[in-house]
Amino acid sequence: MPPPEIDIFQARLGSVTAPAGCGKTQLIADALGQHSDAKPVLVLTHTNAGVHALRSRLQRGRVPNSLYRVSTIDGFAMRLAGKFPLRTQLDPSILELTNANADYPAIRMAVYQLLQAGHICDSIAATYSRMLVDEYQDCNAMQHGIVCAIARTLPTCVLGDPMQAIFGFRDPLVHWESQAQVAFPPIGVLQTPWRWRLAGMDSLGLWLLRARETLQAGDPLNLHGAPEGIEWVQLTKGMEVQQRLRAARTEAAARDGRVLVIGDALNVSSRHRFTMQTPGATSVEAVDLKDLVNFSRQFDLTSPNALRRLAEFSTSLMTEVGMTNLLARVETIRCGRARTPPTAAEAAAVGFVAQPGYKTAVVLLEAFANQIGARVYRPELLYCCISALRAADGEGGFVGAAVQARERNRHTGRPLGRRAVGSTLLLKGLEADVAVILEPERMTAQHLYVALTRGAKRVVVCSASPLLTPTTGR
Amino acid sequence: MTFGDTDFFGLDVNRTIVIMTTIGALPDALKNIDTYGEFLRGYNPATGLIEDEPHVGLETVITLRIEVKDDLEPSWTLYSDRGALQQLERSLAWKDRSLLAPARIGTYANTNLSWARGSVLNRLTEERADLGLQLAHAARAARNTFGVQAAPQFTQTLQVVTETAKSLGVPVGATAQALLDAHSVSIGDGAIALHSEAGIPLRSLGTGSSRLLVAGLQRAASSAATIALVDEVEFGLEPHRLMRLLNSLGAKDAAEPLQVFMTTHSPVTLRELSSNQLTVLRQLDGVHYGICAGSVEGIQGTLRKSAEAFLSRSVIVCEGASEVGFARGMDQFWVRCGATSFLASGGSYVDAGGGSPDQCYARGEAFLQLGFRVLVFIDADKPVTDVGLVRRFREAGGQDLSWRAGLALEDELFRHCSDNAIQALLTKADEMVGRELMAEHVKSKSAGRTTLDAIEAEQFNGGFRPESRALLGLAARNQKNGWFKSVSGFEEIAIDVVGPYTRDAEPGFIEILNRLYGWTSAAA
Repeated sequence: MPPPEIDIFQARLGSVTAPAGCGKTQLIADALGQHSDAKPVLVLTHTNAGVHALRSRLQRGRVPNSLYRVSTIDGFAMRLAGKFPLRTQLDPSILELTNANADYPAIRMAVYQLLQAGHICDSIAATYSRMLVDEYQDCNAMQHGIVCAIARTLPTCVLGDPMQAIFGFRDPLVHWESQAQVAFPPIGVLQTPWRWRLAGMDSLGLWLLRARETLQAGDPLNLHGAPEGIEWVQLTKGMEVQQRLRAARTEAAARDGRVLVIGDALNVSSRHRFTMQTPGATSVEAVDLKDLVNFSRQFDLTSPNALRRLAEFSTSLMTEVGMTNLLARVETIRCGRARTPPTAAEAAAVGFVAQPGYKTAVVLLEAFANQIGARVYRPELLYCCISALRAADGEGGFVGAAVQARERNRHTGRPLGRRAVGSTLLLKGLEADVAVILEPERMTAQHLYVALTRGAKRVVVCSASPLLTPTTGR
Repeated sequence: MTFGDTDFFGLDVNRTIVIMTTIGALPDALKNIDTYGEFLRGYNPATGLIEDEPHVGLETVITLRIEVKDDLEPSWTLYSDRGALQQLERSLAWKDRSLLAPARIGTYANTNLSWARGSVLNRLTEERADLGLQLAHAARAARNTFGVQAAPQFTQTLQVVTETAKSLGVPVGATAQALLDAHSVSIGDGAIALHSEAGIPLRSLGTGSSRLLVAGLQRAASSAATIALVDEVEFGLEPHRLMRLLNSLGAKDAAEPLQVFMTTHSPVTLRELSSNQLTVLRQLDGVHYGICAGSVEGIQGTLRKSAEAFLSRSVIVCEGASEVGFARGMDQFWVRCGATSFLASGGSYVDAGGGSPDQCYARGEAFLQLGFRVLVFIDADKPVTDVGLVRRFREAGGQDLSWRAGLALEDELFRHCSDNAIQALLTKADEMVGRELMAEHVKSKSAGRTTLDAIEAEQFNGGFRPESRALLGLAARNQKNGWFKSVSGFEEIAIDVVGPYTRDAEPGFIEILNRLYGWTSAAA
């Protein structure tokens, strides 16, 4: 094995800039594999998905798990908060995250103060030999503070890419040059486009590295002269929708190759419409499963509209529900005026009306999904909903069960469909053979860079002009 | 560790035994946040207080809790307030336990001289014998060597067995044999033991030698174990070896290599250790507490000079050898009269070395602070200069006893004992220092105005005159050659003269003796 491109354990404090697909995770795995200290390395990242990705890479690389502890920054903070309630002055109930938007910042602040005061330096040094933080560009200010506080005790290297910083819609993110690189002086930039080299698309990889520089400089990106692998779909006025739908059906060369369709980040319903209209496509869901939680709050078994609510919700998950017709048929059947026998779905709907309950609701949802020609394009939401309904007779009711199903789902995750539709935010960190970018003109330079780097073999870009001008301030 | 009913307070097994031990200087493995985060606590060495969570400037510690209920099964868990609140139950991981497991240097030292389980020999290095096969061979060889030697001695038995077996149809061949059972000759790793060059097992060394060796090995293995427990450290050791053992445990090292908890009943140990290394254990109203000797100012000198007294419960601080001898003699006299000895009740005598009364009070105060019962026993011929000291001493519960104003022990004896007693005292003095010297002392103290003969004649002539009595006192306690000035001298006159003649003495003198008796007999 050749030596790693950069020795990330060399410096007491350091940062590595890692463009997409340049072997950052491999670099971490290789470094951990050569780690020889008796104490493990603390490896922090942002999302549970990131933790899973790192862990599975380390397991594949046969890195003994005694050499590392992987966690999200927030998860690590919550564990510390749980262990030191006196010093953090936090009510243990806050760790249940019933009000996540307020609870997370409170926990981060308290843990930052705990670490900054130096109360547990001694035990941190006793537990870990050093620290690595992945996806550092996604740190918000308080997470940056937490990492800096730990770094006073542990030698630390952070890895990230300011051009992939796209989490910043709620909290301001750490500024790469003026904050991250000041606290953690740069020790190197990864520049071998492994993702494309391994796919036999070396020139695409090199072009994307240059594109990254262009976008970072704030310049528009010209698709003319792009190498094989970049495919420009020139949109003609009035034909955009059809052209985009066609682009979304792009096949991967390999039979089991995966396609990522990247839509507008903000317009969720247009993305779902798109998914509905694209054969074989499924939606990638945000981890908060907002639609499920909202539905669980509104769904009232005692209401005369319960069937309508359930049918509406089903319509947003799958095709062939035919709500208007269904509601009329249920009336007819219940009055005994039906001339044609009820379908399975209609029978289940009648069953639900006769006996409104969570069990009968599950039966109806399953009947909808099993209708001939029906396609579930938001399977993740449907499965979580069914599992929540099954547990809804418990103490927390349907809402509690929905929140539990969401949290369980957050940690287990579901395998991605072969043709997955999502936003850059949702597809970040994922890669496929083909990436289809539907609306590049709505993207910032960072979003555009993340989108362009999702496909290892082929990137399809739908735009009117070959000159892609990133928007600013979204 | 095993517990029995007798370990419970007042034998009441329903009152659960709970022992909490807080451990500091933790190795990294025990400060691991992932494993023990909920149980890490902070110890403030300045105040001795424990906070439930670590804090900057506090030492990170853990608290181990041992609980024994009436099933006598000890449960070992970690303790923290927050852990208890959340009902977390965590015990030490096995591998971490060995980091804390104290080395016990005890009477079972023998196991440490073989490669038995838990022997210190296994902690010295990573070497492990892989002798299973060789040991089995050895057992078989023993069986072969032993061979048929037993058979002739069991001829008749074997014959009966063979006949019975045959008659019952149990196949044993032509005749049953008596051979060594290889299985009953079980040899484990523990059978490999240290031997001297001559092949003598080291366990047959004297108790002292083997303990000394094991203690040295413990020290060598102390990188693994940082705590040693030694019960009765002096057991079987001559003073010079005891000192060697203490030194080998690191008692004199600037940076102490081990934390050693030892008990002792030996003044040699006390003399060898510094006062900071000594803790006196006391029980008050059923509550035990320890007082570090080093916390008492100026204790070191007393410790060196009167180590024996530290092993007692009641101390009489005597101004000099005379008072020591006198008090001891009186005690023996009272024992003859049927009383319980002061010594039997845990009493001891400290000789303040004839210094000033202030010194006696200062020493007495030091003992008081360590929780002893103290009586200061002084002459009254020299005044106390530090009145505050005496007040403090009395307020702290100390008692003092002295002769009447301006009088020393000899003055009291010659002025206030009966004529018969004085005659006996003079006879004793004659035995001890000789009549010639006595006569000379009388002559010089009276400036030639009278003689010993003249004074002796007084008793047959209406009794000793007061001024003669005073003169005898003065002569007897002359600086150079006091008539009784030794522990044994005063011991003797107390037993043989003062005791038996008490009844006829002057009431004030009797009163003082009664107070002495009252204090010593209350020691029990």
